[in-house]
Amino acid sequence: MNPLNKIIFLSGFLASGFLLILLSCALYNNWKPIIVIFIFLVAPLPNIIANSIENNRDDFLTFGNDRGNNPTPLEDACKYITGTFVVSGIALPIMLHHTHLIQFGAMVLSITGGLVVYVDIILFIWFFEEDEDDTDELNF
Amino acid sequence: MEQQQHLFKFAPFIKLPKSAKLRSIGVYVAGALFAVGFWTLLDAAVYSRKVNASIVHVTFTDWIPFICSVIGMLIVNSIEKSNLFGNDNSFLNSTGTNTVWAARVILFFGFSLLAGGLSGSFMVFILKYLIKDYGFPTLGMGVANIVCNGCLMLSCIILWISQNIEDEYSYSLAL
Repeated sequence: MNPLNKIIFLSGFLASGFLLILLSCALYNNWKPIIVIFIFLVAPLPNIIANSIENNRDDFLTFGNDRGNNPTPLEDACKYITGTFVVSGIALPIMLHHTHLIQFGAMVLSITGGLVVYVDIILFIWFFEEDEDDTDELNF
Repeated sequence: MEQQQHLFKFAPFIKLPKSAKLRSIGVYVAGALFAVGFWTLLDAAVYSRKVNASIVHVTFTDWIPFICSVIGMLIVNSIEKSNLFGNDNSFLNSTGTNTVWAARVILFFGFSLLAGGLSGSFMVFILKYLIKDYGFPTLGMGVANIVCNGCLMLSCIILWISQNIEDEYSYSLAL
């Protein structure tokens, strides 16, 4: 699978995710679920930031960034924040539906769309990280 | 070095599984649980403002246990745990005993705040909702408080456990 196909496939996938979220807002004429897009767009950022910081850091004494596979506290904290963001993106529409602020259909559409957007970003990172080096680290 | 790895006497029997992936999953699950707790309480607050028909509303009182739990959780998980066992790396820091005592006292405050948050949520539930014989939609706001603080405590426990999971290759490069 060459990179061009991957990019086309992923962009179509991403567009369908955005479409679902926008539909959930526009069909019911209630633009509250639009926040889900921002939550899921921010969700992968902590891991990306942590990875770039940790890969550029030289350790005292070892002069390498090989810590024997043991994650640093920064990486742990970023994973924690990622988990928080993902569940927030799912919990926000549920809360809005439970408090009668949006319809049931809008809840389902925005959760599905948000998960599609998130999975798309993860797939994007995963596809193009695979080429560089074989890291089988579990980064969502 | 090997001796000080064990926390309990019966360490071989309760050996934690060693895997970097399991550790990652544990940290993610802990973060997810924190979000579940936070959104449960926020849901109760919005519900009370928007839908609630009764005269009882979620006020700042209901948020105090949550704030206690969050502060406790921050403290507990910010402590460097190697400080607790003392004398381990005393050749690196000259003020060994002071650090150990400070770590123990601060950790004690952290756990007290966590436990205080959970029992405070029970107290709010009983004093504000249960004792006045409210029906269920109103009672649900108190239950949400307990669920929230329970989730925070569980999140803290899972984070603590998964931070103690060592990778099996982590000693391969030890001097």
